[in-house]
Amino acid sequence: MKQNRSVWDKLQGIDRRILYSILMVLTSVPLFITVALPVDPDPSSKDFYATLMAVPPDQTVFLQSDWTNSTRGENGGHMESIFRILMSKKQKFVIYSLADPQAPQVFRDVMLRINQERESQGLPRYKPWVDYVDLGFFANAEGTTVSIGNDVRQTFGSRRAKDETGVERNVFESPVLQPISKVGDAGLFLIVTASNTIDYAVQRLSGKVKMACACTGVIGPSALVYYQSKQLEGVAVGLKGVYDIEYMMNYGLNVQGADGKTMVSFSEKPTVTAPPLTEGTKFGRGSKYFASLHAALGLVILAVVLGNVGMFASRKKEKQS
Amino acid sequence: MTIDQYIAFKLSLGVLATLGLYSVLFKETRFYRFFEHIFLGLAAGYTLVATWTDTLYQVWWQRMMGQFQGEGPKMAEPGYWAYAALLPIGLMGYTVFSKRNNWMSRIPIGIILGMWSGQQILVWWNTYGPQLYSTMQPIWPTNWSSMTKPPAAGLSPEQAAEVAASLYPSQALTNVIFVLTFLAAFSYFIFSFELKSKFLLGFNKLGRWLLMIGFGAIFGSTVMGRFALEIDRMAFIWIEWIQSLQNLRP
Repeated sequence: MKQNRSVWDKLQGIDRRILYSILMVLTSVPLFITVALPVDPDPSSKDFYATLMAVPPDQTVFLQSDWTNSTRGENGGHMESIFRILMSKKQKFVIYSLADPQAPQVFRDVMLRINQERESQGLPRYKPWVDYVDLGFFANAEGTTVSIGNDVRQTFGSRRAKDETGVERNVFESPVLQPISKVGDAGLFLIVTASNTIDYAVQRLSGKVKMACACTGVIGPSALVYYQSKQLEGVAVGLKGVYDIEYMMNYGLNVQGADGKTMVSFSEKPTVTAPPLTEGTKFGRGSKYFASLHAALGLVILAVVLGNVGMFASRKKEKQS
Repeated sequence: MTIDQYIAFKLSLGVLATLGLYSVLFKETRFYRFFEHIFLGLAAGYTLVATWTDTLYQVWWQRMMGQFQGEGPKMAEPGYWAYAALLPIGLMGYTVFSKRNNWMSRIPIGIILGMWSGQQILVWWNTYGPQLYSTMQPIWPTNWSSMTKPPAAGLSPEQAAEVAASLYPSQALTNVIFVLTFLAAFSYFIFSFELKSKFLLGFNKLGRWLLMIGFGAIFGSTVMGRFALEIDRMAFIWIEWIQSLQNLRP
């Protein structure tokens, strides 16, 4: 027997496929509108940016890339921003993966894209061996992290890479890794992750080197605990973290713009300053996706409100009848 | 095939795979299963090769065999034949599938467990030591001149340093909330004795509520993450793929 259902009942029983379709439309449309929404970056993102910008230019950065295409929406933006910052600062870095064998190919794709972007802007390409060293994948994240902490020359010493002339040599002969004898010689140990490799880094490398992390929204809550207890210098969480970094790449931190206005101030740490980037792209994937994220979150809030109002309205009706 | 045609072809396959995997939102069909199996097969195959080329070959095989200088015959690095002993130890792990010989699998497992257990004291301290220390927050303001920390703009370096070193009432309140949350959440896990006093029961209940709020925040962060992944797939289809097709135009 078919009953007369109220609007509230119908709203509660809405087909999930309709909701998915609305979500897809809502997240697709804003992709065509790039808007620089004003934002106050999270303190953890501010510290992340300040830490990265404060690394002395003559020190090598260790960049651990533990993500694949499945989290490109978040980690892809992190990686692009980090590459842009490091390249803008002419900072040498070593990059490798511990979490997934597919991860090296993913960061190589990002590197290729950013290098093409720089070329199109008339900026020099970042060269392997001279500017950065790609070490590929190391299995057993926990074991490798222990090994990095104990003897980085032994851990990475088996890797060989081609120099500028095309001759294969030990990676420690490269200008990037030559000054490194222990992990503490690195200017910063930076992890871009979608997994628990950040836990291993904190457990095994605490006190040996400065660490910061860019992670997905799923890993964020546990990484923020490490930030709170100063085990990590800074954390950029999820898509919000990507946009925060891009915003500071454009406006700097505790820095007055040409109009005399400070767009991003860090009232908790008024002495910390970091300038905006002087070259290359500043607003990227984060600003492209940020409006879509707002649309999606708006839909969730609306669905939660309608669902709850519907539930209470139905209960009230049941009681009355 | 030109480079543009190759990119368009590659991205078209990516779009097809994305639609195939997202079709599960409509219904689990053979179309979905097909792409799911392709995905799993590719990942497994890629992992197998990468484990040999990036890890076993470089970290184990080359170290065991040593390396020649150029074409040889001088050795650049001598071989360490002791590394050969790792192979039978590793292979013993697979005896777990044999009823008669599965006792052997306990040897590598024992070695791994022993090494792991021995390191856990350091791991525990490195993880929780600084967290325990950072829980001890000051809760009494040291500067009452303003409720909140004043903005840094326009301050001299000395003034900015003084502001940074001071604890303002709003920060002290934040610290009070933090310490109370810690104690309340901690009290929820007291199972050693029965809680009878009204205060302890109330505090325990507060801990449960605060834990729930914490889980809600974690879930919210997770949801944001999932949306970011969906948005990226939409960008892949509507921007990257369409762009690659447009590049095919003469």
